Amino acid sequence: MTRHTMAIDLDSCIGCHSCAVVCKQENNVGLGTFYSKVLTIGPSGTYPDLEMYYLPVACQHCENPQCVSVCPTGASYKRDDGIVLVDHSKCVGCQYCVMACPYGVRTYDQAKDKGVIEKCTLCAHLVDDGKDPACVRHCPGQARIFGDADDPTSKVSELIASKKAHKLTDVGNKPSVTFGLDKCEWKGGE
Amino acid sequence: MAVQWPLLIFSVLLGASSGVMIFLGIGEIKGSFKKVRFPLSLIALILLAVGGCASAMHLGHIDRALYILGNVGSAFSRELFAVGFTGLMTLVYVILARKDYPAASKVFGILAAIGGLLLPLIAGASYMMPARPAWDSFALPLMYLGTGIGMGFVLSAAYVYTKGDEADKPFSMKLATIGIICSIAVTLIYVIWIAIAPFPDPTRSFMRLAGGDLAAAFWLGVVLVGMGGPIAVLVMAKRVSLVDEDGKSGADDVVVASTDASGTATAEPAVGAAASKISTANALWGALACLVVGSVILRVIMYVVATSVEQLIY
Repeated sequence: MTRHTMAIDLDSCIGCHSCAVVCKQENNVGLGTFYSKVLTIGPSGTYPDLEMYYLPVACQHCENPQCVSVCPTGASYKRDDGIVLVDHSKCVGCQYCVMACPYGVRTYDQAKDKGVIEKCTLCAHLVDDGKDPACVRHCPGQARIFGDADDPTSKVSELIASKKAHKLTDVGNKPSVTFGLDKCEWKGGE
Repeated sequence: MAVQWPLLIFSVLLGASSGVMIFLGIGEIKGSFKKVRFPLSLIALILLAVGGCASAMHLGHIDRALYILGNVGSAFSRELFAVGFTGLMTLVYVILARKDYPAASKVFGILAAIGGLLLPLIAGASYMMPARPAWDSFALPLMYLGTGIGMGFVLSAAYVYTKGDEADKPFSMKLATIGIICSIAVTLIYVIWIAIAPFPDPTRSFMRLAGGDLAAAFWLGVVLVGMGGPIAVLVMAKRVSLVDEDGKSGADDVVVASTDASGTATAEPAVGAAASKISTANALWGALACLVVGSVILRVIMYVVATSVEQLIY
């Protein structure tokens, strides 16, 4: 069974923010709202032994998404292929999902489609068309890999197997996005 | 996170409403508060309705409110059902309280009280999310219930002292005392939870309350006003009862207690009793104001310390 996910090779991420920009362009994300951002982690250590890395963050399309279980209307839902989406036509804008998300990657959008919740869709419209998400296609460092986590021969599975794999803090939601980082010490929770 | 004022107002009002209905439910079991049950239950119903309207202001699309039945297993939906059940039972009780149907009043009074007992727990439980460590404990629904009982019981006792039967006053004061103790106890339990919650972080630590940017709100609003204010009323009420025993004046009030010390009430019992009637009620209304202020500020703190385990984008 297909389980779409993303793996990000942080050793290859150059912090150019292209993913954040193309995401806004592809998804017509409103002013002041982001589906995806790139954080700078560090520098850490003691001079001259300093290190830092970039951490692109967006919806983690969790295996057990808390945002879906708290949604009173069923507007937040998880597709069979693992992508977590919001049906804007059902969203009442109660913001419970924003509270339930451990990563603060959901937004109450008052700019574009007033009164509903916005988040990364993993470019489901492109995925359904057999394409990769915009952030994956436009990453100059080819740090972002999209694919089927259940297929051991997929590029995403290969990247996860080849590097020290990390996840964002898991409070029972089981985030699906994996971060590969060998060159620095991972500073996030696991 | 930012303070969600519509939800905050809802939680305070539903708590007070629930407390009143529990108070009346106990009264139905004991056969007390007949004279005040109609106005008090009406107040409870109005508080719940106003709170419900306030919470609706939180929605981005109230026109899609019927979709809330789309996921009946969600905490929000459970909260809605609990509000519906309690509101309906309270409404029936209000109607019955106007007439003389003792058995039916007792049944619906107890049902509304059960609803009042469950509603704050269910409303509070909807905030128990692993993503927000400061909320993820039964201490939060317990805080909703306990502060609600405090506000509701003191409101009811204040009303009894203002408009109720003389015979109901001692029992209502006992319940008000229990309510104040409940409120203080659950406040302490919730603050302890903030101190020991998992995934410790300065943004949701006890130090932020004790000496950080929330210190003024915590020490002045929660401790001094929310806990100290009602305790002061309790202590003064105790002094009054001692004066009553000594002076046999019938005075049962804080103001008179202080004047009693100089002998005024004992010298003029009739005047002292009349003045005490007003003043004891005023003291209880004052205690209610303290509890409301404390509850509001505690909830403001509850929202402010509710940072998520990893706040990455917003």
